[in-house]
Amino acid sequence: MIQFDQVTKRYPGGHEALRNLSFTIDSGEMVFLAGHSGAGKSTLLKLISGIERATSGSVLVNNQNLSRLRASQLPYVRQHIGIVFQDHKILFDRNVFDNVMLPLNIIGFDRRDAARRVRAALDKVGLAGKEKVMPVRLSGGEQQRLCIARAVVHRPSILLADEPSANLDRAYALDIMELFKSFHQVGVTVLIAAHDETLMEDYGRRIIRLREGQFAS
Amino acid sequence: MKHFFYLHWQDARQALRKMLRQPVGSLLNLLMLAVAMSLPVTLFLTAGSLQHWVGKLTASPQITLFMELSAEPADMAAVQSSLSSHPRVASFRFIARDQALRDLEQRSGLSGISEGLEGNPLPDAFIVTPKPDATPEQLDMLQKELSGLPMVEQSQFDAAWARRLHGLLDIAVKLAWFLGASFGIALVLITHNTIRMQILARQEEIEVAKLIGATDSFIRRPFLYHAFWLGLLSALLCWGLSSLFVNQAAPALNEFSRLYGENISLSSLSAIELAALAGGSILLCLFGARLAADHHLRKVRAH
Repeated sequence: MIQFDQVTKRYPGGHEALRNLSFTIDSGEMVFLAGHSGAGKSTLLKLISGIERATSGSVLVNNQNLSRLRASQLPYVRQHIGIVFQDHKILFDRNVFDNVMLPLNIIGFDRRDAARRVRAALDKVGLAGKEKVMPVRLSGGEQQRLCIARAVVHRPSILLADEPSANLDRAYALDIMELFKSFHQVGVTVLIAAHDETLMEDYGRRIIRLREGQFAS
Repeated sequence: MKHFFYLHWQDARQALRKMLRQPVGSLLNLLMLAVAMSLPVTLFLTAGSLQHWVGKLTASPQITLFMELSAEPADMAAVQSSLSSHPRVASFRFIARDQALRDLEQRSGLSGISEGLEGNPLPDAFIVTPKPDATPEQLDMLQKELSGLPMVEQSQFDAAWARRLHGLLDIAVKLAWFLGASFGIALVLITHNTIRMQILARQEEIEVAKLIGATDSFIRRPFLYHAFWLGLLSALLCWGLSSLFVNQAAPALNEFSRLYGENISLSSLSAIELAALAGGSILLCLFGARLAADHHLRKVRAH
């Protein structure tokens, strides 16, 4: 469960990315986050994953108040969250398999179980058989899938995606959306940020619309 | 718990594998550390074993009394009686001049030397061993006292030079410790720099790992293990270098010591000394790595 209570985020320099925002996302819900770039979508996702801290108000993730958590505790919160980064953040110095292995290494997973899970995750996103390929050789869509595989391999309870379908053609973007839907169907809380609302409307899920750091409605 | 050790073992192995993947670079790095370490170590070994030898000499100093050539048996008896009643004298030995000449012939291999000489040029002598608890000052007093005995021409305190050498070697050992301390600091700085470069080279990986939930200790661990291997392997390499030195220098030192009828054994590091060296260098390397990691991981923030 994710709960925002009167959350304001002001960056150094005075820019207010989020203003007095309150909402709740239930466990297992699939929610879209819409708004133009600069509306505060990415900031909202960063607050949930503890990458940024709220200036005021409280952010509750899985019943933990991130604003009160010590910095040394944040990694353990993040280990329960899967993040699909807007800029992918793939490591180009290692192959596909090792990229997906990273979260399991961090948690300290048994190596054999881990290998099985990595293969399962790659299979799920349609990259089976590309384990040994270096990420440079992957297409843009495949890199996106690699990023998704890495985000779900440790079976997080919350999945955050920042513009997962940007720069992809519509057919590919729909594929990716279906993928997220399948994670939602097995009980994962899914929050997808995108500026293109046409994709979201097809799914009939709740849409949180942001404009200049506030609800736009 | 078993799993915890398994993860550490995994990191240790990976760090070692990473070093082996760049054999030349790693070897140069290790050599730099080992050479820096072997300087104080070899100085310590040499000064230590010399001091051990000199220490044996000073532990049982001897005073040699040379009698006048014209001394009569009655004079010998007088000296003998005052020596045997002296409270600071533990024992003494009389070497008659004839016996001294025979010894000389035997030892130098110049048999028949006496035939070329007009009579025996050597004096009668007493070799006096003082009580072992005597202080250096008391020994000096004793020497003066004994040289004042009738018909004693000269007295020689054979440990005086040994004590001076002992003092000199004391300085050498202190110098070895000082060098050891400064090279220890160098060790910390070198590993600090090595690990800093590694962190900078893997900045992207560290950033991503932090973003997906890596704790600081997870990120630090591979670097600390790298430092661990640096410390261990450079200590072993240093041991190899100093053993090589010992192998080269020991025959020369033996030759030298044989001139004095002594046997100085120059030995390599003992097992305990090697363990202490390895432990010390590992600790110093870990310290340097930890400093570098703490300093730079604070800079690499998750964004």
